[in-house]
Amino acid sequence: MPGVWIFAERNDLALELLTVAGGLASQTGVKVTAIVPDQGDQADRCIAGGADEIVLLSPLGEDMSLAAWIPVIAAEAKGADPDILLIAATARGKDFAARLAARLDTGLCSNCTALHREGDGTIVMERLAYGGTAVDRVSCSTRPVMATIPPRTFAPAPADTGRSGEIRKLPLPPSTPVRVIARKTKDRSSQDITEAKTVICVGRGMEKEEDINIARQLAELVGGEVGCTRPISEELHWLPDDLCIGLSGVQVKPDLYVGLGVSGQIQHVTGIRGVRVICAVNKDENAPIFQAADLGIIGDLREVMPRLIEELKKATGR
Amino acid sequence: MPNIIACCKWVIDEAYIRKGPAGALDFSTVDYKISDYDRNAIEEAVCLKGLHGGSVTVLTAGAPEAAKGVKDALSRGAEQAFFAGDPSFNQLESSQTAAILGEIIRSRIPYDLVICGEGSSDQYAQQVGPRLAENLGIPCISYVQKLTIGEDGRILAERRVEEGVEVVEAPLPVLVTVLPEINTPRIPGVRDTLTASKKPVVAIKKEELPPVGAARLQTMGMTATRMERNCEKFAATPEEVARFVGALQKLGVIS
Amino acid sequence: MEFKLTEEQELIRKNMREFADKYVEPIAGEIDENSRHPAEVFKRLAEGDWMGIPIPVEYGGAGADYLIHILAVEELSRSCASTGFTVSIHVGIACMLVLLNGTEEQKQQYLLPMAKGDKLGAFVLTEPGAGTDVMAATTTAVLDGDAYVLNGTKTFTSNGPTGDTYMVFAWTDKAAGRKGMSCFIIPKGTAGMSAGTHFQKMGLRSSQTSEMVFKDCRVPKANLLGKEGAGLVMAMAGFDHGRVGIAAQSLGILQAALDESIRYAKERVQFGNPIARNQAISWMIADMATELSAARFLTYHASWLKDQQRVFSKEAAMAKLYASEAAMRHTIKAVQIHGGYGYCKGAKVERLMRDAKITEIYEGTSEAQRMVISGNVLR
Ligand SMILES: Cc1cc2nc3c(=O)[nH]c(=O)nc-3n(C[C@H](O)[C@H](O)[C@H](O)COP(=O)(O)OP(=O)(O)OC[C@H]3O[C@@H](n4cnc5c(N)ncnc54)[C@H](O)[C@@H]3O)c2cc1C
Ligand SMILES: Cc1cc2nc3c(=O)[nH]c(=O)nc-3n(C[C@H](O)[C@H](O)[C@H](O)COP(=O)(O)OP(=O)(O)OC[C@H]3O[C@@H](n4cnc5c(N)ncnc54)[C@H](O)[C@@H]3O)c2cc1C
Repeated sequence: MPGVWIFAERNDLALELLTVAGGLASQTGVKVTAIVPDQGDQADRCIAGGADEIVLLSPLGEDMSLAAWIPVIAAEAKGADPDILLIAATARGKDFAARLAARLDTGLCSNCTALHREGDGTIVMERLAYGGTAVDRVSCSTRPVMATIPPRTFAPAPADTGRSGEIRKLPLPPSTPVRVIARKTKDRSSQDITEAKTVICVGRGMEKEEDINIARQLAELVGGEVGCTRPISEELHWLPDDLCIGLSGVQVKPDLYVGLGVSGQIQHVTGIRGVRVICAVNKDENAPIFQAADLGIIGDLREVMPRLIEELKKATGR
Repeated sequence: MPNIIACCKWVIDEAYIRKGPAGALDFSTVDYKISDYDRNAIEEAVCLKGLHGGSVTVLTAGAPEAAKGVKDALSRGAEQAFFAGDPSFNQLESSQTAAILGEIIRSRIPYDLVICGEGSSDQYAQQVGPRLAENLGIPCISYVQKLTIGEDGRILAERRVEEGVEVVEAPLPVLVTVLPEINTPRIPGVRDTLTASKKPVVAIKKEELPPVGAARLQTMGMTATRMERNCEKFAATPEEVARFVGALQKLGVIS
Repeated sequence: MEFKLTEEQELIRKNMREFADKYVEPIAGEIDENSRHPAEVFKRLAEGDWMGIPIPVEYGGAGADYLIHILAVEELSRSCASTGFTVSIHVGIACMLVLLNGTEEQKQQYLLPMAKGDKLGAFVLTEPGAGTDVMAATTTAVLDGDAYVLNGTKTFTSNGPTGDTYMVFAWTDKAAGRKGMSCFIIPKGTAGMSAGTHFQKMGLRSSQTSEMVFKDCRVPKANLLGKEGAGLVMAMAGFDHGRVGIAAQSLGILQAALDESIRYAKERVQFGNPIARNQAISWMIADMATELSAARFLTYHASWLKDQQRVFSKEAAMAKLYASEAAMRHTIKAVQIHGGYGYCKGAKVERLMRDAKITEIYEGTSEAQRMVISGNVLR
């Protein structure tokens, strides 16, 4: 049965997927099915966001992982034979998608950033390759066409409360050999850098952890948030990893980005393509960040930062 | 004493890709490397072997030139390698890679644990690990940042997920995909590289494997991403920094 | 004829590149500024068997080709010429002298810890009055019972303040002329041997260079390297090996100059265009790349001859002469391409230009190389 399916482990992401799914479904006049965890008013919100059918996943036992649903969803998909299956690219979602694709023996475009239907009906999907050096355009020759879509690639579908849809519930899947024995939620950063108007990004050029305070001070001055490169979150653990910008982190699109001691490797720069004005401070004038920047100060952070803060205070009157 | 398989891919080093005119990519001077996170996979396997004994086998499928990558992998502490090399294995798609690796493992390599990198440096599709687990019919634990094998032969893994960490446990055999933060891969010493050449490599010909299915995804075109901006540079002097702030004001990004 | 490195050679070169990028490049500016010997780097080099590449495994080395040592010195020098040189003189001269001339006991006692990188070697020949003219040396070694007693002052000893194992040359029979000089292995701490403070130099600043003073320094007979009177011949063979290393060091410097120049010329905009669009600039880069290739072939060829156990004195001298002069010529151009920025501290080309100069001076000046080469071809 033709149709566009989406699967997301979180409501906000389901709504983002519905934006794309709705567009694709309306072109061929098929239904949109949303597979989502049974939580609060998920079903109603997805219907308002454009879903025609809601498949609810009953809450799993504490020790069960999302992957337990794979065989169930695979069976559903085999039965219904949808045209397209879009999955939110969270860690669990990507793992889920790849295994589902294996079971359905179909292709999967990972971290798809754009997709559209060509005149002949082919779905063309875009993704980055070679660390962000290239954009790869792919199509899939088997059914269903699958893609994982990174959070915030699309705006959430607006709510149309007048819509209606069917809701059904899937029975709990059997338990799997993989048991979740603990879940630790990390201290999430207070603010969301993907929404910030200004992002101050710290890189490994920062000498010590305390120096991040200087970046914070700068961020406060200009009303922005602090983000970081992967080494800062992953190797040094100076900042939580949801602040990491780039290929394996988040994409940011503020008006102003200031990279402090960021070398500007392609995997990072990929995350700041949409920024209006990119600035960098780096002591190495050959650092690749300067090729991606609009304004750059060549100098040592220790020297530049106090001056920059002083000048910004003057300029902003704070 | 676990038998561990570490899978690795020999990839184009993206640092050598040049951008030609009109968005074309120029691969004429590229060099190759072991995909970054596969080094973490090998390192983790070798570290676990150091703790628990057992064996480490590296497994790769790729173009015949990837033989150099096999040597590289062996120099990182594995004791043997299985290598399926064929010109047609050059640009394998995730589903094909998983099928080939799965076939080789099932038919030729006894194992308790398979370790893959989270994703490859070229495609970063993050699919081969999970697809391979499905192919082998074993559990998959992906995005692992910490891995321990318990006394009872069960594996304990910390997965990194959006909201934090998910600690999971499973009986062997399992497949895990590892994040780069799980360890720091070694830089092989001179002797490591020289002795790697003497370690056994089982070469597998395409003809010895069942036919590889068609790629499920087709690349329709690849273009260079453009990110060139005209950087105006400033020195670190107080006057220059003031000028820099002035430029920000003119652009209307600070107020 | 095959112009190709083996897979092992390529991999090892890549590993050294990674090592240098990770551990050396980030500190190269600082150790230059402070004339600091980066002991922490040498510890890591030792762990990776980089301190004795061509020395057989049984004597603590990696048992690899000389060419691999040359590739390692080149890649290391691309990040820091001082660090590259320290490895070069330690392996190419100090270790090689013992390997080629030592007794089994000497190899076990002195070569093994050097090749493992636990001990650092030094080559002690030059004197205040005897540079190019080695025969003008005045340091003497007089046999007294079971020991030689050394007296004299040496200068420009690389690794003087930081070394552990010194290869010291002194007259045992001045009257015998070229057959009157001998070489002694003297470990650090031997009474009567002292190192001066290190010199403040124009370049190669993190390599420690000093005087070595010998005052009634008693060296057991067992520490005589090779035969009495064979010192000069051994020193010359040592130079053959060392010079290929200096050529490799020059290659590293030159490659770095080329990398920096290409990057800067494409990036620096004047008159609305990157300066690389001017032939005046792009031709400098063309010459630089060409001479780098030429120097590389000469150097690898000399090293290949050594690995084939063929005579390579002339080729070593040619490689060193050409590579070092090319490095000097083109680091000057690299600074030119960088304009005023290239003249300031912090620009890598500024350091490269200062470092390049030494390659034309030590282990035989360019003039001395021409003497070797002309002596060879006019024979
Ligand atoms: C598959 C893959 C995915 C990846 N994903 C991401 C990602 O999502 N995000 C990400 O950020 N990275 C990612 N990376 C890593 C990326 O390749 C780089 O390693 C990383 O971005 C570098 O971070 P950095 O700029 O902070 O550090 P470095 O590259 O170490 O740069 C530090 C910079 O600071 C400068 N500096 C040092 N001291 C000073 C000083 N005192 N004053 C001024 N400047 C100074 C130096 O000149 C240098 O340019 C990924 C890599 C791979 C292989
Ligand atoms: C940083 C550094 C490290 C060193 N490390 C060591 C070391 O580890 N061990 C060691 O033993 N020595 C070492 N040396 C010494 C080095 O090898 C000598 O400096 C070199 O041999 C030149 O000797 P000199 O400085 O006395 O110059 P001189 O011999 O006085 O030469 C001065 C100039 O005259 C030229 N010249 C001399 N004779 C002739 C000739 N016959 N024909 C034409 N031109 C001639 C020379 O080429 C040069 O241009 C080092 C020197 C330096 C600067």
